[in-house]
Amino acid sequence: MSTTRVEHTRRSMAKRDPVLFGTLVAIWIIFAIFIFLPIIKLLSTTFVVDGSISFTNLIKIMGKSYNIRALYNSLILATAVAVTGTVLGYIFALAVTRTSLPPFFKGLLAAVTILPLISPPFTSSISLTLALGPNGMLLRALGITDFSIYGFIGTWISETLTYFPVAFMVITAVLNTMSANLDDAALSLGSSRWRMFRTITIPLSLPGIGNSILLLFGASLADFATPLILGGHTFPVLPTEAYLMITGMFDLKGGASLSFLLLIPALLVFILQRVLIGKKSYVSVTGKNGAKSAFGKLPHLLTAIISAVCAITVVFILYLYAIILWGSLVKVWGVNNTVTLQHFKYVFAHGKKAITDTLLIAVLSTVIGSILGVVIGYIAQRKNFFGKRFFEFGSMLNYALPGTVVGIAYIIAFNQKPILLTGTLAILVAAYVFRYYATGIRSVIASLAQIDPALEEASLSLGANSLRTFTHVTIPLIIPAVLAGMRYLFIHSMTAISATIFLVSVRWTLLTTRILESMTELQFSQASAFSIVLIIIVFVVDAIMLALMKWSTRKFTQQESISYEKIGA
Amino acid sequence: MKMKHILLSVLMVLLCLTPIFAAGAQEVQTTEKVGKTVNVYSIMPEKYATKIFSEFTKDTGISVNFVRLSSGEALARLIAEKGNPQVDALWGGPADTYEAGIPEGVFEQYSPKEADKIPAKFRSTENYWTGIGIIPLCFLSNNEYLKSKGLKVPTSWLDLTDPRYGQSLQMADVRTSGTATERIYSLIQVYGEDEAYEYQKKLHKNIQLYTKGGAGGAMPIATGQASAGVFYIVDALDIQQQGYDLSVSYPKEGVTYGIEGSGIVKGAKNLGAAKVLMDWASSKRLGEVMVANLINYIPTRTDVVVTNPALDMSQVKLLEAQAEWKGDNRARLVERWIDEVIQQ
Repeated sequence: MSTTRVEHTRRSMAKRDPVLFGTLVAIWIIFAIFIFLPIIKLLSTTFVVDGSISFTNLIKIMGKSYNIRALYNSLILATAVAVTGTVLGYIFALAVTRTSLPPFFKGLLAAVTILPLISPPFTSSISLTLALGPNGMLLRALGITDFSIYGFIGTWISETLTYFPVAFMVITAVLNTMSANLDDAALSLGSSRWRMFRTITIPLSLPGIGNSILLLFGASLADFATPLILGGHTFPVLPTEAYLMITGMFDLKGGASLSFLLLIPALLVFILQRVLIGKKSYVSVTGKNGAKSAFGKLPHLLTAIISAVCAITVVFILYLYAIILWGSLVKVWGVNNTVTLQHFKYVFAHGKKAITDTLLIAVLSTVIGSILGVVIGYIAQRKNFFGKRFFEFGSMLNYALPGTVVGIAYIIAFNQKPILLTGTLAILVAAYVFRYYATGIRSVIASLAQIDPALEEASLSLGANSLRTFTHVTIPLIIPAVLAGMRYLFIHSMTAISATIFLVSVRWTLLTTRILESMTELQFSQASAFSIVLIIIVFVVDAIMLALMKWSTRKFTQQESISYEKIGA
Repeated sequence: MKMKHILLSVLMVLLCLTPIFAAGAQEVQTTEKVGKTVNVYSIMPEKYATKIFSEFTKDTGISVNFVRLSSGEALARLIAEKGNPQVDALWGGPADTYEAGIPEGVFEQYSPKEADKIPAKFRSTENYWTGIGIIPLCFLSNNEYLKSKGLKVPTSWLDLTDPRYGQSLQMADVRTSGTATERIYSLIQVYGEDEAYEYQKKLHKNIQLYTKGGAGGAMPIATGQASAGVFYIVDALDIQQQGYDLSVSYPKEGVTYGIEGSGIVKGAKNLGAAKVLMDWASSKRLGEVMVANLINYIPTRTDVVVTNPALDMSQVKLLEAQAEWKGDNRARLVERWIDEVIQQ
């Protein structure tokens, strides 16, 4: 009976909203191929033993106390990183959007925050080791002798530095699209700046905060590179253990089973996020705004604290990157400090293919991923249809899973007909798209949560169909969020390594794997030179996208005031 | 009308995906066009493989496309790609990796032309792999650190358990590195299995970090972040050649050595070229190329003249451990290491 009802709903949806129906069908097909098929293949590797379903692989894994500790550590680390990363990201976002600090300082903040994000995780971990590791430069300078970076502390610091820019980007987008009129109203009604901050700014940025916590938790949960370098053997985490199990012990089943444990916390966080953020209404862009005015400033004490935190963080990050830059310019690190360009010559002579391959892959992933991200985010936030929750979760699945596992799953799934993709460009692009469009989807959802559906309803009731409404009303309103998603996608397609390390082939290679190679081959200077080249490329492209983001936000707010004048007239 | 809308939107989304499929198709064409190439997974570091393969191309006209992978990754990939091999040959890496791959059916039997010039203990008994170089384990230590603690250059396994090293040793993680499993093989040859694990528990107290790669600890030791460790000679000499103040020494109790293998992948699409590569690798030429380029593997061809005195093994006690024995026991020994050494 329920089947017929579902059939009925579908048929009526096909009639009522054919564009939505068609789009949904297309997206489900894409999900089936690039998300569900690999995971099902991987699960069957885990749970099918000699043709029947069995839990022996999982039981074997759970029986080891080391693995249980890894699960516990993963959760602790992800929570710590999500909290500190979001707090730091929020502080930076406030500094940029809500203070009257000089524009130069704000520009510096925006520029420096993306450094950790646009560099491959291995590089920043290594420079952190050189600064704070045993006999580290900074420790020697400060006279500290009994500090060990290996374990929880180092991993936590490094991941916080690596991921807080994500929080910064997401929260800035939300803070920017808030209506300043509420601030105005509060202040003119005699509220203190503290009260305004507490009762307007913070509650209205909750979607961004929740979004950021979810993203950071997920990112930390899946990150294997940082704990691999800084976790040491005292602080095992699940993705690292899964990676070691697969690459070191040739145990695909064991690795798959370990990563299966990761799915559970990922699922919990997702549900939590829906429960906490999903219910309340945070609509502040209604199309009924008054004149655009500036945001209310923060209390002086808060501004001072924010400035101090930002300054310290910025100096520390710049210090870490100075180490990398210096490393790329000296002949032999620690022995011969003669400045030379030989490492850069090597990069352009032997790494040209890696550079062009990486760029092509990143551009393709960004374009395809953003289009999919907008469509999926829009449907998930605005439309109601059968299986919506599963739809939303499915879209995020590759992101929630550790990249290592996605990589292996892709090899298993796409190595045989009918979908033969191993060794191609397509498999690398698909891996990046379905792993890193998540931020795009999340930003679109968070941004849409602030926009009153009445705007779209008006368009629909005036006779536009849902496609036209989407392209002419929704898209212009969410462009800042889309660009934020694009930036994330591009950056990660240039720098991420966890999934694609399994997918690079003799024909398509990546800069990040070359860097990792140079690292393991002790060519520290070469690795630094590769990193600097990569960072410069990403920085330039990212600066262009950032400029577009600012431009589109300004355009958007101008339109708003024009429409007000019209209404007023 | 409505049908048109549905089709339109389906098309729109599918269009987004066409570039990747189109690119995929193009690529297959180009590989078919190029005739004289061979595709390789190299476990041997890129910096060596680049030099060696460019000499091979000069000699034979066959160009080599390769990706460098760790031994575990390479084997995991070969197994995953069994239905559709992406490469024709595996290059370098410990012989026990090849032994582990034989039961999985990923290698093709082939006896290179001059294989009989290579001692039988450096080859697969069933011609699945051929040794291209030998690398004994050794100690690498930072001279400045040793001086500051009043320590001598280590010459016995027991020296490394001296408490004065106090959590400053870096060496490879047994789960990811062939260098690290070689360490266990050596210790078992010296002490017997149970005592070898007792020793490792003591050694563990002096460990600062287990690194992912076999050479991962060499740079920290060179820069004084760590004091000493156990490495394959090829990695130890390489960092020493860069100019750092380091000592390379051997334990008097003896060390085992790794055999770098090479073999053809089953179902290789460029089988002919892969065979040419194996023939070339078994000739004297490979050894000469390695010697000329300061690539410090000891050639398996005993008739190659080795000039580097550090590779003179006449004063080093070399212990034998069969590649088959290593392959058969590896997984068990690694498990035991996880259970007893790092979890204690």
